Amino acid sequence: MTNDFMLLMPLIITGVGAIALMLIAAYDKVTIEQASMASMGVFGLAFLVQLSNTIGTAVVPYDTVFNGMLVISNFTKVAGLIILACGFFTSMSAHSYFKQNNFCTTEFYSLVAFSACGMLLLTMSQELISVFISLEIMSLAIYILVGYDRQNKRAAEAVMKYLMLGAFAGAFLTMGTALVYGGVGSTKFALIGQAVAANGFFTNPALVCGAFFILVAFLFKVAAFPFHAWVIDVYDGAAAPVTGYMATGLKTAVFAVFANFLVVDETMRAGWVNYLFYLSILTMFVGNLIAIGQTSLKRMLAASGIVHTGYLLIALVAVSSEHFSGSVILYYLGAYSVGTLGIFAALSYLGGANEKRQTFDDFKGLARVRPYSAAAIAIFLLSMAGIPPTAGFMGKLYIITSAISAGQVALAVFGIISSILSMWYYLRLIINMYFHEAVEGFEDTADFKFAPACTFILVVCVFAISLYPIAV
Amino acid sequence: MFEHVLSVMIFLPIVAGLVLLLTPAGKGIARLTGGVISFAGLVLGIDIFFKFKNQGPLQFVENIPMIPSLGINYSLGIDGISLFILLAGAVLLPMVYLLFTTKSKGYYANLLIVQGAMAGAVCAADMILFYVFWEVMLLPVFFMLGLWGGESRIPATIKITIYTIAGSLLMLLGIIYTGVSYHAQFGEWSFNIVQMTQLQMAGPVAVLAFFGFMIAFAIKIPLFPFHTWLPDAYTEAPTATTFVLSAIMAKIGVYAVIRLVVPIFDGEFARYALLLAYSGVIGMMYCGITAIAQKDFKRMFAFSSASHMGVIALGVFCMNLQALTGSVFQIVAHATSTGVLFLFAGILEDRVKTRKIADLGGIAYTAPVFALFFAIAMLASVGLPGTSGFIGEFLIILGAIKFNVLIGVLAGTTLIIGVCYMLWMFQRVFFEKTKPASEGFKDLTLTEGLTFLPVILLIIFMGLYPQPFLEKIEPAAQLHLAAADAGKTIALADNTHALVQGSTVETQK
Repeated sequence: MTNDFMLLMPLIITGVGAIALMLIAAYDKVTIEQASMASMGVFGLAFLVQLSNTIGTAVVPYDTVFNGMLVISNFTKVAGLIILACGFFTSMSAHSYFKQNNFCTTEFYSLVAFSACGMLLLTMSQELISVFISLEIMSLAIYILVGYDRQNKRAAEAVMKYLMLGAFAGAFLTMGTALVYGGVGSTKFALIGQAVAANGFFTNPALVCGAFFILVAFLFKVAAFPFHAWVIDVYDGAAAPVTGYMATGLKTAVFAVFANFLVVDETMRAGWVNYLFYLSILTMFVGNLIAIGQTSLKRMLAASGIVHTGYLLIALVAVSSEHFSGSVILYYLGAYSVGTLGIFAALSYLGGANEKRQTFDDFKGLARVRPYSAAAIAIFLLSMAGIPPTAGFMGKLYIITSAISAGQVALAVFGIISSILSMWYYLRLIINMYFHEAVEGFEDTADFKFAPACTFILVVCVFAISLYPIAV
Repeated sequence: MFEHVLSVMIFLPIVAGLVLLLTPAGKGIARLTGGVISFAGLVLGIDIFFKFKNQGPLQFVENIPMIPSLGINYSLGIDGISLFILLAGAVLLPMVYLLFTTKSKGYYANLLIVQGAMAGAVCAADMILFYVFWEVMLLPVFFMLGLWGGESRIPATIKITIYTIAGSLLMLLGIIYTGVSYHAQFGEWSFNIVQMTQLQMAGPVAVLAFFGFMIAFAIKIPLFPFHTWLPDAYTEAPTATTFVLSAIMAKIGVYAVIRLVVPIFDGEFARYALLLAYSGVIGMMYCGITAIAQKDFKRMFAFSSASHMGVIALGVFCMNLQALTGSVFQIVAHATSTGVLFLFAGILEDRVKTRKIADLGGIAYTAPVFALFFAIAMLASVGLPGTSGFIGEFLIILGAIKFNVLIGVLAGTTLIIGVCYMLWMFQRVFFEKTKPASEGFKDLTLTEGLTFLPVILLIIFMGLYPQPFLEKIEPAAQLHLAAADAGKTIALADNTHALVQGSTVETQK
């Protein structure tokens, strides 16, 4: 029982921390800097507890406490680690970001912590109703974070788009849950799996429809083709730290539950893999085509996020439900998160007041003026492009290896072609930063501490993660 | 210390380069560090040369597990083939620091990193490790070309980078495919290059993987028709980068074919050997003829280099001992002669501020030492008997005639074409009337002269007494060819529509 309690501690810490942050926000004396540090404290503590849990190997299905609705395994523990780290670095870069952008209030950090609660719950959920609830806890907080800058038209547009479409996705999930319940008589993943194993998957139309709707909801949240169109505007409209958070923490959580749901039963997985195969190819290529045409950095990163979703779908296609460890998916999510968070941390302090530097051209000559920042961004970009010896390369290596091992050679070939295409837009920023004369002095980016420190830590992580071997 | 000598050769320059980049050191310190470190590399290289035993298998082996679950190890080792490419780098790179004294810190730091990465690619005995170094060695080139290149450097940078990365990603696919096949056939994960030779590869996917490797290396070498990045990159790059690219990096492409493709994909290699050989010969003739027409001497050297790389690659594709040994020998010969020529071109460009052949003339009257050294390197490059270039080209043509008479005859024309563009250029630049741009051309200074002297002497020594080199190359070459099991390979090549019909594939001495 104490063990079980310890395994839930990170979630409890984040939840209590979120409420506490909300309460202290009522006091005028608390500045947003202090709130940011408090939020970092909460995430840091939760991360450390999660880290100590991760070293153990306990798998806890919480049969008695939650009636089997939550399951903690190594997979969820590591996913939780990534999410908590994302929350920590987001708070850290927001600290600097809100020195030049003044639409922040202290509640901001409380919302970051609340959405992290939703994400943590989502990774552990093994039951469709709790999936829906945790998805909504996460999404509601994220909707507010996206539209936090109420005066900004683009943020308002972003939140409108995201809210409307997100609500549809939520509706799809509920509908799917209802249909699955109608077909199987349970919403628990384990019982669904048993029912499918006993009666088959395609013999049960309600189950097929329901699983399809649930798939749609997940694909929407991870921004896979053909539900990718919202990403560009939403990522562009949100504040840089929030965009980084959405691109990493949210994606990690949804991919975790996606994988958990997919491995419920082998016949069901095999049925979906045929469609996921084409979806992942289309996601990669559509993302690349969108990214190549962008002139704004944030929009390019949003589109490249779509491409990375495509790679993660490759990893999903290659998982096997018999020995599911999900280590490849998590490794790639970790590597991708480090690179993305790093770039958004750098944008948080390099963007200037009201994010005035947005396009590739605005960063011309950055290397002449701020060589260390430029080097950090270059390292993150190279990691996202998958150039060794970065974490991104190892992630890609694992994904391609698992795809070829699973017999999906064609998928591996498309993955490689897609990463060749993606070189263009990653290199473009590096070329702009390094090979052009500086057009401005970037003087307003000098006196920040937190976001540059965050960038530095993440650069170290890029190389540290690449050295960490995983079992495939 | 000594059991990790290869690691030291790899990581000493890389770490020094990174430290230079991260600290606000001045130009002078950077150049001094670069010079000292690369000189240390030279000393280590010479030490390795004399401790190297004339045997086939890998020597100076290091092995540390990196990712046990996939059998990826940090394993290094050199044989007679990698030894010479390692040495070419160690011998040639210190010259850059002596000749170019006024470059910025990043320039020297990037040179150090590329030196280490190239040593790593040559020493790697694990395919993933090889891939890591292969990619890392591109990055300094990317930055040097983009930061210190000529006027239209950015298109050239994009071209070489996208081209090379596209190739290497295809190779990554091939590497992973071979690794997975090894797992399927032997039940354990490994990416070790030597173990890979036991692999039985067949079927359409194996052909795809083979071309994944071949295209990556064909781009790097560069082999016709993947050579189009070369003239731009070589011309726009700063001298040291062109030097690194042509003298060593291109050779690593050939080396990788010998190391990875010949033993692992023996069947596919035999099937497509004729196609590849033709592409080598066509590239050689095409680039050679293009070189004749060039008005810019650096661009002419670029085409000349591409032309010679075609011959060197041809030596590998002929699949017999003479040609392979000749290729490896020619790798060193070409690294010294063409490398030095590019350095001369850099000096010439620095002094006369133009790259047009038409603006120059009569340099030999005021700069006799320069003209003499230039002539020796040039004659080695065209393969005059008595210079290093002759031995290699002779062996390659000999092997090519054994392989296929037509190919051999075509390969023979390289000597003629080479003479055409080189001597004509030499006549216009060094003799004829003095033009305004080349008036009062200063001869090599004492430092410059002494820097070039050892390499010029090496060129002549290798031409007159090649035996010490050949006897180190041959055992390894034999081993590589023996891995391509003779009977099976020929049978496979003949049965599966042999592109090599009528040719002999010889794997024993």
